[in-house]
Amino acid sequence: MADPAFGDQINAHRGYLLRVAQLQLRDQDLAEDVVQETLVAALAGSGFSGKSSLKTWLTGILKHKIVDAIRHKQREPQAVASFGSLDAELDIDAFDALFGEKGGWDAPPADWGDPEESLNRHQFMEIMDFCLEKLPPNTARVFMMREVMELETEEICKELTITANNLWVILYRARMALRQCLEQNWFAGKGARD
Amino acid sequence: MFHKLTHGVTCKEATQLVSKMLDRPLSFGQRVRLRLHLLVCAACSRFERQMRMLRLAMRKYRE
Repeated sequence: MADPAFGDQINAHRGYLLRVAQLQLRDQDLAEDVVQETLVAALAGSGFSGKSSLKTWLTGILKHKIVDAIRHKQREPQAVASFGSLDAELDIDAFDALFGEKGGWDAPPADWGDPEESLNRHQFMEIMDFCLEKLPPNTARVFMMREVMELETEEICKELTITANNLWVILYRARMALRQCLEQNWFAGKGARD
Repeated sequence: MFHKLTHGVTCKEATQLVSKMLDRPLSFGQRVRLRLHLLVCAACSRFERQMRMLRLAMRKYRE
């Protein structure tokens, strides 16, 4: 069994794990359960080699627990309805307003300056959180599976039983919405704040 | 020829190709058309850099 110090180290990441699970599952109770299972598995297991960071290793465990939870949820009849709303999030033309009739930019992307500098700011990650929260639930879920859990597109399609085409529409929409949100809430005011 | 190819992709389509590229390799033709478009389109080049940054930010989210 792991020593108490290891338990403390693991517990220090609880907040982060909960945030990821919450964004993925949009269900506070389920997110708590999944994180609890992750922490228990982490304490019981001896899989941590120290090759990756502790946080990355924990994320790996959480990933499996989340996929299990989603799989489980899909077997429940009422859950199908909650995931069935995916269609409403599939409108690829939602960003048409950004482009003119001929497919050119009406509102071209702004200059984001030095990305490295932004990425190193704590506040930037808070804005990122805010923007992720604002995404439609299923869009956020799919986006997190792809970008945080780093699942391949085939795996996501299989787990969520959606087509490859639907998947790329959702990912495109997530990226467009996040880009817009970051531009409005971070990069627009950045000059003024600095 | 060059003119025709770059006009084969609108900015809207270019943004869709950039997003697709992050999930799976584009076909040779798609790659060529996108590259040519990005060569002449500052707005879409900027968009592409922003998408790469978004990916980095999500990786960082986890570290």
